[in-house]
Amino acid sequence: MMPGRIGNISLANENPLGLSWHDSAWIPLLNPSNIMDYFSERSNPFFDRTCNNEIVKMQRLSMDQLQNMTGLEYILLHVQEPILYVVRKQHRHSPTQATPLADYYVIAGIVYQAPDLASVLNSRLLSAVHHLQCSFEETMSYSRYHPSKGYWWDFKPTKPGLGSYNSSQTAPKDVSSTPKEEPSTLFQRQRVDMLLAELVRQFPLPVTQTAPNQANGVTVKTEVSNDKNEKGMEGNLNNITIKQEPVDPTTSEMTNGSMQGQIEIKTEIKQENMKPPPEKKPRNL
Amino acid sequence: MEEPTLRYEKIDFLGEGQFATVYKAKDAKTDKIVAVKKIKIGSRLEAQDGINRTALREIKLLQELQHINLIGLLDVFGQKSNVSLVFDFMDTDLEIIIKDNTIVLTPANVKAYMIMTLKGLEYLHQNWILHRDLKPNNLLINREGILKIGDFGLAKAFGSPTRINTHQVVTRWYRAPELLFGARQYGTGVDMWAVGCILAELLLRVPFLPGESDLDQLSRIFQVFGTPTEENWPGMKTLTDYVQFKLFPAQELRHIFSAASEDLIFLLESLLALYPPNRCDCTQALQMAYFSSKPAPSVGPKLPMPSNISKLEVEKPSLKRKLLDNIDGGSLAKRLQF
Repeated sequence: MMPGRIGNISLANENPLGLSWHDSAWIPLLNPSNIMDYFSERSNPFFDRTCNNEIVKMQRLSMDQLQNMTGLEYILLHVQEPILYVVRKQHRHSPTQATPLADYYVIAGIVYQAPDLASVLNSRLLSAVHHLQCSFEETMSYSRYHPSKGYWWDFKPTKPGLGSYNSSQTAPKDVSSTPKEEPSTLFQRQRVDMLLAELVRQFPLPVTQTAPNQANGVTVKTEVSNDKNEKGMEGNLNNITIKQEPVDPTTSEMTNGSMQGQIEIKTEIKQENMKPPPEKKPRNL
Repeated sequence: MEEPTLRYEKIDFLGEGQFATVYKAKDAKTDKIVAVKKIKIGSRLEAQDGINRTALREIKLLQELQHINLIGLLDVFGQKSNVSLVFDFMDTDLEIIIKDNTIVLTPANVKAYMIMTLKGLEYLHQNWILHRDLKPNNLLINREGILKIGDFGLAKAFGSPTRINTHQVVTRWYRAPELLFGARQYGTGVDMWAVGCILAELLLRVPFLPGESDLDQLSRIFQVFGTPTEENWPGMKTLTDYVQFKLFPAQELRHIFSAASEDLIFLLESLLALYPPNRCDCTQALQMAYFSSKPAPSVGPKLPMPSNISKLEVEKPSLKRKLLDNIDGGSLAKRLQF
């Protein structure tokens, strides 16, 4: 992250905003009931062992006692299953009063400290200035000067200095873009499956309609594909404009009512695939 | 001189031990609440010195000891063939506090208890006396939050090189490894070990080394601190009851006492050193960083009291009446019949 750039290594070591921590053995098992145990792992650099939570835990007392103690404690502030937990570090003055000291977010099992506003602004400003600086430096490299001609811009990439600059700029991009096919994690797969299942549940496929038309469908589809080559762009454009309007004259007869109000982008795409055949079949028949 | 039986007005029955019955009483002379320990006559064997031996020890030692953190012996009086000892009245003891799950012992509380225990013990050791039965139950605490070491029934002068002591002292869970190996000549280390066990118990709220037999006790000790060898405990094998144990590796104390600060871990390690000469003494312990670093020890009135202490005033009269009824056959006589 940006704070690391600010300067010397010691600062980067001390700054908790540049740190993250996780224990991969725990990650598949995390849930709201054990997230605080995960957070209080001995190796977690964000966890202060002398806090009230650890005192109560060591004395084998009920965690309800935390309310009656004063001093440093950690609480589970927010849960957004299954991926995000927010833990707050606070100083308790009384059973009703506590001053927040820091928030930590545990996202996909990795713990980070939430930055304070000053650090965010600092980091954003620094990166903006950095990019401005880079653009100035690059611009400067294109400027040329000759005593008789004065200044001019030279954007030809043939120059040895510029050529190398461009190639160095483009080459890593290609390298980085091509081998991007990382295997998905179990968590990602489960999550995508869950989202897909949820979508299917919300917008069930109109199976009954497609089934009887399938015999004709084969011939129709070739036509459709031919059409698409010619007026595919047109059709797509039309489709898009129609969707932006809440009232859809063509689809009003066959779509189920639930869709009209809150059509998401993803569902629209699905409909795009489903709609044309019935739309065109009446025309062909 | 005033008749002692008239001076102390019995208020309450507090408890009964092997050698004595303890009553709460009011000193009519000073209006102070005191504890009166009435020594049982006991068998002829126990009374062969003319008086029960534990009572004799307490009288002999406590008469000469004056310290804020030692129980004060206020008076001794005899009535017929009985002897009664009058002590400071103490509201509770550390065992009750440790076992009260509604109390959280903060680091400041633990530090306060440790300072008071070590100061009392330091005075005792400076006067060449070993307590030999330190345990949470014998660390008495009064309403003002003052801790006093009590029960000197096993206490004894030490330091004479020729004297042989018995090793059957100290309640097992607080007994030092050299006693378990049958050492007959020992020093302040046995008390320091017990203090270490009490400190650990304050942190964990359960007995740290609850051995079920003497051998199990040693086994538990070595499972935590590692089995000693001839290198780190020279002469261990010459002790009378020495037995070879399986070699356990030492554990990290900071893993057991997870919320303890580093200076507290260091104190624990010095109190619970296996080799007795390596164990710190009270003066050394009190000078360790733990006692001068933050947080400061709780002041007396801020120390927790078991929840029943405040209710005591309301609930006890009924119990007292019942007991009095049993003892005095229903009469309302409040004088102690010694």
